[in-house]
Amino acid sequence: MAEPLYLRPRLDGRAASLLAEPGLLHSLVDALESPLNVVLPEQAAANADAFQEVFTRHRLKGRVLFAHKASASSALLRRLAATAAGVDAASLGELRHALGCGFAPERITATGPKSLRFLWLAARTGAAVAVDSADELDMLARLLRAHGLPRCRTLLRLSGFSAPGVRVRSRLSRFGIPVAALDDVLARAAGYRDVLDLVGVSYHLDTTSLTEKATAFEGCLQALGACRDHGLAPDVVDIGGGFGISYLAHREEWDAYTSELAAAALGARPALTWGGHGYGLRNDKGTLRGSLALYPSWRPAAGGHYLDELLSAPSSSALGGRPLASLALEHLYDVHAEPGRALLDQCGLTLATVQEVRRPPDGGADLWVRLAAKADDIALEEHGVLLDPVLLPRPGSTGTSTDSGSGGPVAVHLFGHLCLETDLITRRLVHLPRAPRPGDLLVFANTAAYCMDFHSSRSQRHPAARKIAAWRSGGSWTWCLDDAYWPLSTEGDPQ
Amino acid sequence: MRYDRITDAIGNTPLVRIDPAVHGLRHIDLFAKLEMLNPFGSVKDRAAWNMARAGLPGAEADGSQIVELSSGNTAKALAVIAGMHGLTFKSVTNRMRIPETKELLLLLGAEIEELPGQSECLDPTDTEDPLTLFHQALADSETPLLHTDQYFNPRNSAAHFEGTGPEIVADLDGRAPDYFIACVGTAGSSTGVAGALRAHRPDVEVVGLVAAKSDFIPGIRTRDEVHEVGLFDPDTYDTLATVDSGQAIEGMVTLIRRCGLLAGPTGGAAYHGALRHLREADARLAEQRDDGPPAERRTAVFIVCDRVEGYLSYIRQRRPDLLGDTARTPNTLAGLSDADVAAAPAVTVDEARTWIEGADPLIVDLRSTYAYNALHLAGSVNITDEILGELLRAGLPFARSRPVLLACPVGEQSARYAALLTRMGHPDARSLTGGIVAWRDAGAPLTRD
Ligand SMILES: Cc1ncc(COP(=O)(O)O)c(C=O)c1O
Repeated sequence: MAEPLYLRPRLDGRAASLLAEPGLLHSLVDALESPLNVVLPEQAAANADAFQEVFTRHRLKGRVLFAHKASASSALLRRLAATAAGVDAASLGELRHALGCGFAPERITATGPKSLRFLWLAARTGAAVAVDSADELDMLARLLRAHGLPRCRTLLRLSGFSAPGVRVRSRLSRFGIPVAALDDVLARAAGYRDVLDLVGVSYHLDTTSLTEKATAFEGCLQALGACRDHGLAPDVVDIGGGFGISYLAHREEWDAYTSELAAAALGARPALTWGGHGYGLRNDKGTLRGSLALYPSWRPAAGGHYLDELLSAPSSSALGGRPLASLALEHLYDVHAEPGRALLDQCGLTLATVQEVRRPPDGGADLWVRLAAKADDIALEEHGVLLDPVLLPRPGSTGTSTDSGSGGPVAVHLFGHLCLETDLITRRLVHLPRAPRPGDLLVFANTAAYCMDFHSSRSQRHPAARKIAAWRSGGSWTWCLDDAYWPLSTEGDPQ
Repeated sequence: MRYDRITDAIGNTPLVRIDPAVHGLRHIDLFAKLEMLNPFGSVKDRAAWNMARAGLPGAEADGSQIVELSSGNTAKALAVIAGMHGLTFKSVTNRMRIPETKELLLLLGAEIEELPGQSECLDPTDTEDPLTLFHQALADSETPLLHTDQYFNPRNSAAHFEGTGPEIVADLDGRAPDYFIACVGTAGSSTGVAGALRAHRPDVEVVGLVAAKSDFIPGIRTRDEVHEVGLFDPDTYDTLATVDSGQAIEGMVTLIRRCGLLAGPTGGAAYHGALRHLREADARLAEQRDDGPPAERRTAVFIVCDRVEGYLSYIRQRRPDLLGDTARTPNTLAGLSDADVAAAPAVTVDEARTWIEGADPLIVDLRSTYAYNALHLAGSVNITDEILGELLRAGLPFARSRPVLLACPVGEQSARYAALLTRMGHPDARSLTGGIVAWRDAGAPLTRD
């Protein structure tokens, strides 16, 4: 084949060290079946510390709230409960889970669409509530009064920010109170002062754009000023999530791959995908139209670095141009962040066994590889993340693969085991350093955020992947079922 | 030269020789086509005027708004042209990455609309890219629109086929140059000029320059992005090469400091790309000369698109050293050592409260005015740290007889200024330890008065 186009995953410390134990991983999958999810609680704790460190560097009293929606793992949540981080719970179930994993209500913020029961449990226990609309504010106040609940710490989630002089054609959001309607909502909030303690304002924007977020941050500072005009004194800016993960080890590979995707869409090279799928790109008389509908798998600044850039971004000239962090600090405001994806960077792997390897019926050079897993189990593609799996040969297995020929790099299509044409683990042709054999493992890196749990199903009575937690203890790896994990050693010391 | 309208002054820009002592080529004469001397400041004046001109009578009749996807020079030219004809102009952009440009466009009367950034929580089935949305919005608009469509409009490259190209030939005594080098943004200038030059001699070597992938040079496209441009035809270029932003700025600095050409980053990119390409050709010509009859001298032309003034923040971000203030005056924070700051007189919140009661110091709040207005210590004055820094360069702005209490958010800036005031001879300037955050945390009063 021509020069292989790899998209090799970034594997830091713990994940890399676990991958260096193929014997252990194979025996785990043999015992617990393919697919198998492995989460790394210690990594989540380290990530929370790294986020906190960014706030400290900016002298801010910041708080990191894990956006629970990114993972259903109990082990990750319980480990985070043993750090200074809080939780952003977006459903009744997430709130109950967070409470049960050891988060005191002071460390929980309830966000997202809310049922009465969700609001009641949040208010009853004393969690903060980020209110999404004027109606929800009314609903919360009625509930608090009707049930004689304790005064509820409340944030107003805002949306529809604009920069001076610029109309932003933002994606329409279903969430948040438009800043244009803020005055009315603040008047209501002031009227509910007996039951509501307005502690802050928040936003969450579904964008990778730093400028859009900086505009929202500034809008929140202005909104906190407006609160004072209504006799309210909130002092928290919650800047939501969306700090991102950089999934790939090498920027050059991402650059080369996406260039080739564009070339393939223009017909300048053979297709790189199943059925010539364009990932959003199309050829319009020799001009490339559309845009890559893909997550930027390589990112120059993600996670804590992205937070750092946002806090360092200069404010507009209307606010004097100082960095946003300085402005917040000068106003004595605290900053909360709700990283979901970014907090789980390097926190999990999904393992799947190779079930079958064969040549396509048309005799093409690409191999067809079927895994003992469904696309749902490894939802990287569902989230637009392109990432090569790591091939872990079955230890001790000898003999040549079905058709591997020279034993060098091969291009493979990865199929799931559903009896369904569309069950493709990925639509793209994946280049591997050598041909996989039945019984080998493919390890998908960095799947803890959204990819393990968001789409998992039991279609066709295939089991959903089991989940285990793994950590290093005294120089070797130890594991237990996810739900059996508590952040304690067997002797009761902190792990 | 006398004109009836400023648009008549578009074009006929100078072709200026680059001093061989600067470029070092021995067998090639290198010329810069100074498109930055167009009246609205850039090469885009020609395209903007040529694209808008055709539609103006109709647009004036039905009060259309001119619309273009641009975050820079085309928007500037169109904003001015719209204003001259009593029309409004809207620039739609997803990358207003140069703050000065934004402010200048607002000054010129443009409306700016920004497209959203890429979704973080992606829905891969959603292929409604921002451009598709933009075109839908054009179709749904209630006000009549004149969309100049610079990436697809043949009147863009025609402006250069009819103007820029023939001017170069005329200024070279009727001969087209051997080499033509230009950056590719809309591909309008390179396509138009290349066409005009090749009409004179088909063997002109054309070099197109694009930015390296994941890099950003204002006004030009990256290697992948050029394929999204309707006017772009790979066959126009004998070579398509990349330049990175560092090289563009280096080239720009040479043009500015050595040649007196106040070029912007794309001019610098073209100069860098030209030299890189021509050095090889020059070396080959030298070899030829060694073993054969003397080679003929060659000629090369590159385009300087616009001026440097609008890119100061771009340069500050990438090369702060070029804007560095190296002249140190004695009364600045830069002259203080860590030990000076550590030894600065300071008071804790408790001490400060007693001290304020007894000695009535002048309380100086160093935070921004916006923050000061929201909440501050009673009786304090607000002199932001930058302004205090400016004042101190000239000398002490406070009487020595009155004690001074300096306050900032966490006590870092105030310690530095207390050290500086002390060094400048103030007998009793103190920093509030832990700053206004500690003051608040101790439950001490803050007012809005
Ligand atoms: C309110 C809120 N906070 C935080 C997040 C987490 O975002 P991410 O996982 O991109 O960090 C989300 C995601 O949808 C959200 O809606």
